[in-house]
Amino acid sequence: MTDGHGVTRRTVLIALGTLGVAAAGGLAAAPGTAHGQVFGQNESVEEAMKRLFGGKTIKDGSAAIKLDIPLIAENGAVVPVFVTVDSPMTPTSWVKHIYVLADKNRIPVVTRVTLAPDAGRAYMGANIRLGESGDVRAIVEQSDGTLLQVKRDVKVTVGGCGG
Amino acid sequence: MADIGKVRLRVPSSIKPGDVVEVRSLVIHPMERVERDPQGKIVQKNYNYINKVIVTYLGKTIATFDTTQSVAENPFFSFTFKATDPGQLKVQFLDTTGGRYEGTVDIKFS
Repeated sequence: MTDGHGVTRRTVLIALGTLGVAAAGGLAAAPGTAHGQVFGQNESVEEAMKRLFGGKTIKDGSAAIKLDIPLIAENGAVVPVFVTVDSPMTPTSWVKHIYVLADKNRIPVVTRVTLAPDAGRAYMGANIRLGESGDVRAIVEQSDGTLLQVKRDVKVTVGGCGG
Repeated sequence: MADIGKVRLRVPSSIKPGDVVEVRSLVIHPMERVERDPQGKIVQKNYNYINKVIVTYLGKTIATFDTTQSVAENPFFSFTFKATDPGQLKVQFLDTTGGRYEGTVDIKFS
């Protein structure tokens, strides 16, 4: 009894497991996220920061970063965000990544922009969703690895994240 | 939703060599949100949203956006590039169902 029944059950489970992994892999692999996993996850902002930056210190970047976002967002489903960073954008010193994180969203990582020096200016803009009022952060990673951060509290009248 | 994947790009009408040019791009896409069942558990399925935007100019990648479901429906992205030579600027949007939508604009100097 243990032979026939047990083995079948196990085989089925293993097969199911493999399928699951394959499905998850398919999601993550869709044009290569650097982390080999789904880039945006349901997690707290602390977990997200740990996942993205490890234990690295993040300095205050209010002198260099301009985060342009409305203080009151009437509709959380569409909130325009613009980030401009003071940077020479030369092949020796440029802004490598601009991250946008929304603290209160269930998926706090909104976007990561990877720039090349040819961009001319460290600038990005996008329309994002905000689930509820809370901080929105812009974190900048420079070519030498320095991390800078600014955050801004945004009030949301009607939330925009169903999830 | 026949409009999915329609891409619109806007560049300034006159560009001079050496200018840093701001480009606005828009794509029509539902950017599906996470759904929950009545118990509050996340429904596991392959949500259809854009997770990558690639901008190339003269064949070189100048910016890549890795995006999540926290980006709004019909997403809008803007970026800059340094116009050095006339040529093609291409923006590609990739979604989680394998969809690939692209828009191109020819950069000319006037």
